[in-house]
Amino acid sequence: MNRLVQDIKFALRQLRKSPGFTITAIVTLALGIGANAAIFTLVHAVLLKNLPVSDPKLLVRVGDTDDCCVEGGVPDQRDYSIFAFELYQHLRENTPEFESLAAMQAGVGYAGVTARSNKPGDLPRAERGEVVTGNYFQVLGLQPYAGRLILPSDDVQGAPMGVVMSYQAWQRDYASDPSVVGSTFVLNTYPVTILGITPPSFYGDRMTSAPPDFYIPMVMEPNFGPGNPTSLLHRRDANWLYLLGKIKPGTDLKQLEAKMSASLRNYLATLPLYQRQDRQADLAGAHVVLTPGGAGIENMQQEYGVGLKMLITVSALVLLIACANIANLMLVRGMARRAETSIRMALGAQRARLIRQMLTESVVLSCLGGLAGLLVAYAGTKVLLAMAFPHAQSLPIEATPSLVVLGFAFALSLLTGLIFGVAPAWVTSHSQPADALRGSNRTTSDRSGWLQRSLVILQAALSLILLVGAGLMAKSLSKLENQDFGVVTQNRVVVHFSPESAGYKQEQLQGLYDKIINDLHALPGVDKAALSLYTPLEGNNWGEGVYIQGRPEPGAQAKNGASWLRVGPEYFDIVGHRVLRGRGITAQDTATSLPVVVVNEAFVKKFFSNGENPLGAHFGISGMESVGDWEIVGVVSDIKYNDLRRPTRAMYFRPLLQVAHTKSQTDTRSLYAGAIMLTTKGQVGNLESQVRRTLANINPNLTVVDYNTFEAQVRGQFDQERMIARLTLMFSLLALMLAAVGLYGVTAYSVARRTPEIGVRMALGAGRGNVVAMVMREAMLQAIIGLAIGIPAAWLCVRLVQSQLYNVGGHDAMVMTGSVLVLTIAALLAGLIPAQRAASTDPVKALRTE
Amino acid sequence: MAETIIEIEQLTKVFYTDEIETHALSGVHMQIQRGEYVAMSGPSGCGKSTLLSIIGLLDTPTSGRYQLNGKEVANLNFSDRSRIRNQEIGFIFQSFNLIGDLTVAENVELPLTYRSGMPVAERKKRVQESLERVNMAHRMRHYPAQLSGGQQQRVAVARALAGSPSILLADEPTGNLDSKNGEAVMQLLKELHDEGATICMVTHDPRFAAHAERQIHLFDGKVVAEGELSHLMAEV
Repeated sequence: MNRLVQDIKFALRQLRKSPGFTITAIVTLALGIGANAAIFTLVHAVLLKNLPVSDPKLLVRVGDTDDCCVEGGVPDQRDYSIFAFELYQHLRENTPEFESLAAMQAGVGYAGVTARSNKPGDLPRAERGEVVTGNYFQVLGLQPYAGRLILPSDDVQGAPMGVVMSYQAWQRDYASDPSVVGSTFVLNTYPVTILGITPPSFYGDRMTSAPPDFYIPMVMEPNFGPGNPTSLLHRRDANWLYLLGKIKPGTDLKQLEAKMSASLRNYLATLPLYQRQDRQADLAGAHVVLTPGGAGIENMQQEYGVGLKMLITVSALVLLIACANIANLMLVRGMARRAETSIRMALGAQRARLIRQMLTESVVLSCLGGLAGLLVAYAGTKVLLAMAFPHAQSLPIEATPSLVVLGFAFALSLLTGLIFGVAPAWVTSHSQPADALRGSNRTTSDRSGWLQRSLVILQAALSLILLVGAGLMAKSLSKLENQDFGVVTQNRVVVHFSPESAGYKQEQLQGLYDKIINDLHALPGVDKAALSLYTPLEGNNWGEGVYIQGRPEPGAQAKNGASWLRVGPEYFDIVGHRVLRGRGITAQDTATSLPVVVVNEAFVKKFFSNGENPLGAHFGISGMESVGDWEIVGVVSDIKYNDLRRPTRAMYFRPLLQVAHTKSQTDTRSLYAGAIMLTTKGQVGNLESQVRRTLANINPNLTVVDYNTFEAQVRGQFDQERMIARLTLMFSLLALMLAAVGLYGVTAYSVARRTPEIGVRMALGAGRGNVVAMVMREAMLQAIIGLAIGIPAAWLCVRLVQSQLYNVGGHDAMVMTGSVLVLTIAALLAGLIPAQRAASTDPVKALRTE
Repeated sequence: MAETIIEIEQLTKVFYTDEIETHALSGVHMQIQRGEYVAMSGPSGCGKSTLLSIIGLLDTPTSGRYQLNGKEVANLNFSDRSRIRNQEIGFIFQSFNLIGDLTVAENVELPLTYRSGMPVAERKKRVQESLERVNMAHRMRHYPAQLSGGQQQRVAVARALAGSPSILLADEPTGNLDSKNGEAVMQLLKELHDEGATICMVTHDPRFAAHAERQIHLFDGKVVAEGELSHLMAEV
């Protein structure tokens, strides 16, 4: 122990003696370790962290995909991850292996709840609610922060209406007022009691940038919809719940999975969909996959997983390059300290002792770098969070390093110290004491060693890989952003709201919509205004199978799906759909007029591919009996509404309030518009507050859930891609800088050590050009070998990121050429400075150096 | 009549360090004729190495005239000095200054590689001849570290000869050698002189200075005595 303390003291003294080296090394390490710790903070929070529940290991999710939010039909791969309420009950009752199995709403989107406290003068707020079963908090094993949590007894018909508020909403919107607990709130016009507050560390059952503000018992779901016929609770054909359960210890998950899959098929066999002959294969293949539920519903993990893994790999590579740099500096230092090492050896020091001393110095240095890296990590995490979740209300990710992150940074520092310290320690400890003590040699041979050059070659190769990766990401992002979505975004505003939450009945909607549009039109600067069920690129999608009149019934495997939405007059103009044939949706398309639809070009291509005229054709979505429901009256240009990486989906547009003749009871939920779109004449000051006031004047419960420019909404689609592209670029530039500094350092060191040789060469007649060429040749040779290794390595590595690219081949010649060029220029610059210095060597002085 | 290779008049060299002026050379006059063997001697700091640097075009004088082969070279730019140095001057250093990463042959070839237009075959021929001249051709593929001090200095002499310079400048060529090897190198220089080479050697060892046919004695940056060894001895 005494020796260790002695070694540490000596290491600190040595570092203090060379402040230039120490500061360079610490800054390099801080950047490397800090970047890794920042990314790890995100990785830990998103991919590794469990829910703050009592026994996360016993939690199991029934399902493995991020399907959302209300789905009918057969899921992809026949893999069930969301369930109808009745199916949930069936599964729960048939699986005693679960101590308790809870269900929760899959989609907590824009259509939230409107909440008003009982405080006089308090205005209604747009909040987010999640419907959960009464055993939800029991399954999670949570204790309330205040009051109590929902119990099974709250989730039965006739029970007093009570909800639980999240700690974050309580803090943010109600100033942590203790009187909230037990008070009566008005939620979607219904009086409910606030039963309690969730624990502070609980941000919901899934990682999201907008966690629920209220947890509502399942039994109340019909109250939070427009009425019983459109409630999801009792619909057997609509899957909308995630399932999370606590298993009994010792349960065999594989057996349970097989048992639940069988149970699932038993239930599905009772549904009309699966009773069709052509669906028997689907029925036989229907199954569930059980996944660990300790981290809750891992939607964000699926969304961000690949990107985060890529970023941690990239940041690790940067750290490796930083390590190579420090190792080089240490080697140089080791050379300079050869005499000291020799004296120690002459005095009887063992090699192991010298290696230990050198390693102690490396580890002390890396720990200092790690400490500084924590500051970089703190700042870096803040930047990362702002980039990854620009609109987050509450996030369970703290920029302040947690104990886990501190541990990670410490472990990384130790590892880093060992990585960059071991080679210099080995080399220095193997120096020949007699040679070093003899002093200057009679020949001038002091080029940088093979180890140093290898480290520079490694840096160049890694930098090229990162540059190619960054180039591909940037090109992919550029292609994504600059593709023609078909939308017009200039001077467009999107307002999300919820007449459903404000308590409007179906028969009141026509009047409400007319009033909203008229009042918004009256606002100064507003040119056009339209309502719609949802808007392009907001992450929402409604879709059904299409049945065309005069065509045979599509088979079970037929791809007859199409997306749809309801829109009001002026919508097409605002969003950017051009009417190509027929007409658009007009004010004359009312609830009582002829049911019509307008389709997009992709719809025509998909369903009228033989050149038939779509105008006048009829179709429906509720089987063959519905084929006459709607008439196509127009065709509009394509706009991408969802996945930007895929071609535009077939879409049709319906008037706001027309209800299908067939199965009309299931068609009423979509009558509630979710968005208002406005076009303004240039910039309009205070438009947001004017819109909010206009809606509140119509009904105080008509709260604005979200207000955004259309441009920002579209841009928001690329948040993740942009974050990954920017970070990859940032890391690759950092890597390039480190590699260039590494090359510069080795070349400069080599020049310094070769001063006598340069003097001799000059004495023999070498001109400045000869000297520059000599130095550059050596520097560029390292870069070229680095490129020779890096190019094939990069070609192999891009396969790993291929899935993240859009319309960019993994082997993009332009990106590869650009990256090679950038690295070559960096190497030229890094070599040129010492080369120039070498060329200005005074031969007389150089010869004297010898 | 003997041809003058080097003619120096009123040569001065002043070094400035902070505010201190050091006059390394103060009005040196000298001439070296083709085929002459001149030894420059004097105590430490007398300016003999500075003078050799200027003669070798490694350094420039502060003032004065310097003609090499009849051409004024005192104020040439770096590039011209490099070219002339490469073609007209052969250096032999006290510490040999062979480049450790190059073989013996490559070391000897080095000054020739700085001459544009010399064919490779011509270079190889000259290397071979130079090494043969110093009896080191059998070690041409060895590296300097594999040679003794005396052998290294012979290779350095071969390197100086390879370019067929007008003059060989030797700066204490025996300074790093034992007496036996020192004698051998001096013998080699004498043989070269006998074959017609012009040599200017800096040494402070009177035994080796005796090999030269003329001696220049410097003191405090001035030539204080000049003449044949026998005359100088008599004056002293």
